[in-house]
Amino acid sequence: MSAIKLDKLPEKVILPLKQHDGIACAPLVKKGEEVIIGQKIGDCEGSDLAYIHSPYCGTVESVVEMPNPSGKRVLSVIINPLECADSVDFIPEKDATPSRLLEIIKEAGIVEYYQKPTYLALKPGKRIDTLIMNATFPLIANAYLDSLDKVLKGFRLMLEAGGISRGAIVIRADDKESIKAFKNAKVDGKPLTVAPIIGKRHADYYFEDSEDEIIVLAGGKITYTPTMMNLLSGDVMGRKIPLGYKPADVHVAVCGVKSAKAVYDAVYEGKPYLENVITVSGAVNRPGSVLVKFGTPIKDVIEACGGYKGEPGKVIINGTRVGVAIYSDESPVAKDTTGIVVQTKDEVLRDVSSACIHCARCVDVCPMNLLPGRIAVMADQGMYEKCGEYYALSCIECGDCAAVCPAKKHLVQLIRFSKLQLLKMCAEAEPAEVTE
Amino acid sequence: MTTFTVSPPPHRRSKISIKTLMWGRVAALVPISLAAIYFFGFAALGNIAASILGAVIIEFAIEKAFKYELTILDGNAVYIGLLLALICPPTLPAWMIFLAAMFAVGIGKHAFGGIGSYVFHPALAAWVFLSLSWAQDMLPGTTPITSSFSDMILETGAGFLGEVSPILVLLTGVALIAMKLVEWRIPVAYFLTTVILAVLLGDPVSYVITGTFLLGVLFFATETVTTPVTKNGRIIYGILCGLLTVLYGYFSGNYVWGTLYALLLSNAIAPYIEVNTLPKPVGGVAHE
Repeated sequence: MSAIKLDKLPEKVILPLKQHDGIACAPLVKKGEEVIIGQKIGDCEGSDLAYIHSPYCGTVESVVEMPNPSGKRVLSVIINPLECADSVDFIPEKDATPSRLLEIIKEAGIVEYYQKPTYLALKPGKRIDTLIMNATFPLIANAYLDSLDKVLKGFRLMLEAGGISRGAIVIRADDKESIKAFKNAKVDGKPLTVAPIIGKRHADYYFEDSEDEIIVLAGGKITYTPTMMNLLSGDVMGRKIPLGYKPADVHVAVCGVKSAKAVYDAVYEGKPYLENVITVSGAVNRPGSVLVKFGTPIKDVIEACGGYKGEPGKVIINGTRVGVAIYSDESPVAKDTTGIVVQTKDEVLRDVSSACIHCARCVDVCPMNLLPGRIAVMADQGMYEKCGEYYALSCIECGDCAAVCPAKKHLVQLIRFSKLQLLKMCAEAEPAEVTE
Repeated sequence: MTTFTVSPPPHRRSKISIKTLMWGRVAALVPISLAAIYFFGFAALGNIAASILGAVIIEFAIEKAFKYELTILDGNAVYIGLLLALICPPTLPAWMIFLAAMFAVGIGKHAFGGIGSYVFHPALAAWVFLSLSWAQDMLPGTTPITSSFSDMILETGAGFLGEVSPILVLLTGVALIAMKLVEWRIPVAYFLTTVILAVLLGDPVSYVITGTFLLGVLFFATETVTTPVTKNGRIIYGILCGLLTVLYGYFSGNYVWGTLYALLLSNAIAPYIEVNTLPKPVGGVAHE
C-alpha cells in the first residue's frame, strides 16, 4: 500500500518554529522574503534542537503565532506557496565519516517519533550496543515498504553514525505485508533474518547465532507508542528499564522508520527533513497513509483523503489513546505528527466521571504493573509523595487504564499531574542537597 | 468554519460503565429470585419487593436531603436490596427486611461515604443487623444439604431465598465471569480453598456447596469495593475467605452462617491485604 500524495498546493503553509519537544528556533526569514525548497528558515542553539527547513517555495507572508498540532500556539513562519521547483543545491555525501554523518543528520533537522532529535538519540553519551527500529505502526511501516531498500540503507547509516554494532527492526507479528517485504529485502546482497520473539528468546538470542548486523524481529501485536520505551526495550531486548532510567542506560537506542528514510535522503540525496508519511483514519472518505510536507494544514491533508465523512466532531493528532484533540483544522502537520484520527459528532465521548468502585480493571490492564486508580485518588488529594511511593513516575501514560475505567475517571491526567508535581519537588530538592 | 471538540485523551473508551456492572449483577440474580418466588410463593416476592423498595427509598431520601446527585439509576441500591433479600428466610416479616434494607443503604453504604467507600458489604452488614435484632425471625426453617444432583437444581431444604437453586447461582455467576464483568481471581481462590479444606477436615462437600455459599463466592466476595485491588491481594483475599468459611463452618457445623460471617471478617482485613501486596513496576526500582 503506497501513500496518498497531495496533488494540490495548499493555500497557506504554516511552518512552526518548534516541531518537537525541545528548543524553539529563531526565524531566519522576514515578511515578504522569497524562500525556496530546502532553505533553512529556523535556526537555534543548544543541545536539543532541530533546524527547520522550508519544504515549499514561495513568499513569506508573516511570522506570527499560529495553532500547532500540540494544541498550543507556536511562533510560525507563514508562506504563500508557488508552483515552482526551485531548491537549494542538495549535495549528497556518500563517503562521510561517522562524525560527519552525525553532523549531516543534525543539519537536516531529523526528529524521532518520540520527540527527540535523531543525532541525540544515536549518541546519548552512553555505550549503545543495539539500535532498535520501531516499525510497529503497521500503516506507517507499510507506506514505506516501496522504498524499503532506502530505509534499510538509512538504518545502516544510523548504525554507522552512532557507532552502534547491531540493529534490530521490530515489526508487528500480525503485519503480514511488512513481514513479507522484509523477508524479500536484502542488505549487502544478503537476505534479512526475520525471527519471532517467543518467551525468553529476545534479540540477543538471535544475534548470537547469526553474523548479521541487522535482524528483523516480529514481536507480538503491540504498537509501541512514544512513551512505551520500557516495554519496547523489555520485550525486544529482554532489558527492562528500572524506574528513573532511560533506554540508553540499558545500552539501547531507538529510532523510527521515518527517520531512517530521512537519514537516507539527507546523506545520499543531500535533502533536509521535509516530508513525512502520516496516517489518516476515522471519519474520512478515503482513510490511509499520506505523504505530507511539513507545514501543510491538516484540512488540506483531509481533503486529499476525500474530505470528512459526515459532520466532524473531533480531530485528534497522534492516536485516540494519548493524542491531542485540536481546536482548528488549520493547524499544520509538524515533524512530530504521526497520525490524524477524525471522529464524528456522535463518536465524541460525553462521559461524566463518578466515584471509583475499586473494580481493579485499571490494575489488570496496566502494562507497567501499577495501581492507576490508587495513584489517581492520591493525586486528586494532593498527596504527591504518596503517589511517588506507588511508583507514579513509572507510568508510561499509555491510557489503557482510563480507557477501561467504568467510572470514566481521568486517570491519565491525574497521574500525569502527580508526575509533574513529583518532578518539580525533585528539582526543588536537588539544589539544596548540593549546598549542604 | 466547523468547530471541533477539545478534550483530554483517551478519545475512545470501553463501553462498560458502573451502570453496566451493577445492572449486570442484578440481571444475574433475577433467575434465582424467580426460582425463589416459584418455591416460596408470595412471601418471597413480598420480601424481595420490600427489600428493594427500602434500599431505593432511603437512597433517594439521603441523596435529596444532602443535595447529592441522584444515583438510583446506577443500580447499586437495587442490587444491595435484592442481595439482602436472598440471604434472608422467606418467613421474615416484610417490614423487618424493609428496615434492614434501609440500614444497608443508609448506614452500610451512605454513612461510610457512598458507592466506592464502604468498608463492609452493605447487604452483609444488614444481615448482621437483622440477626442481632430479631434472631428468632432470622432462623431458617431448615438447613440445606445438597446430597444429590437434584438438590443442586431445586433444593427442597432451602432456608434462605438464595438457596433454592444452587445451580442457577453458579451458572449466572460463572456467566458474569465469562463476560468479564466479574474478575476470576477471588471466586476461584475462594471456592478451591473452601472445598479442599473441607474435604481435608472430613466435612461432606454437600454441607458446603449451598446456595448461600455460591452467592458468597460469586457475588459477595467479588464485591469490588470491599476487596483488595492488587492482583496477588485478590488471590490472598479469596484464600482468606475460604479459610474463615471452613473455620466457622467446621466448628459451628453451619456453613451457611460460616460463609456470611467469614465474608464480613474478610471485608475488614481487605485493606490490610492490599497495602501489603503492592506490586513493583515493570523493570523494578533501582534505588531503595
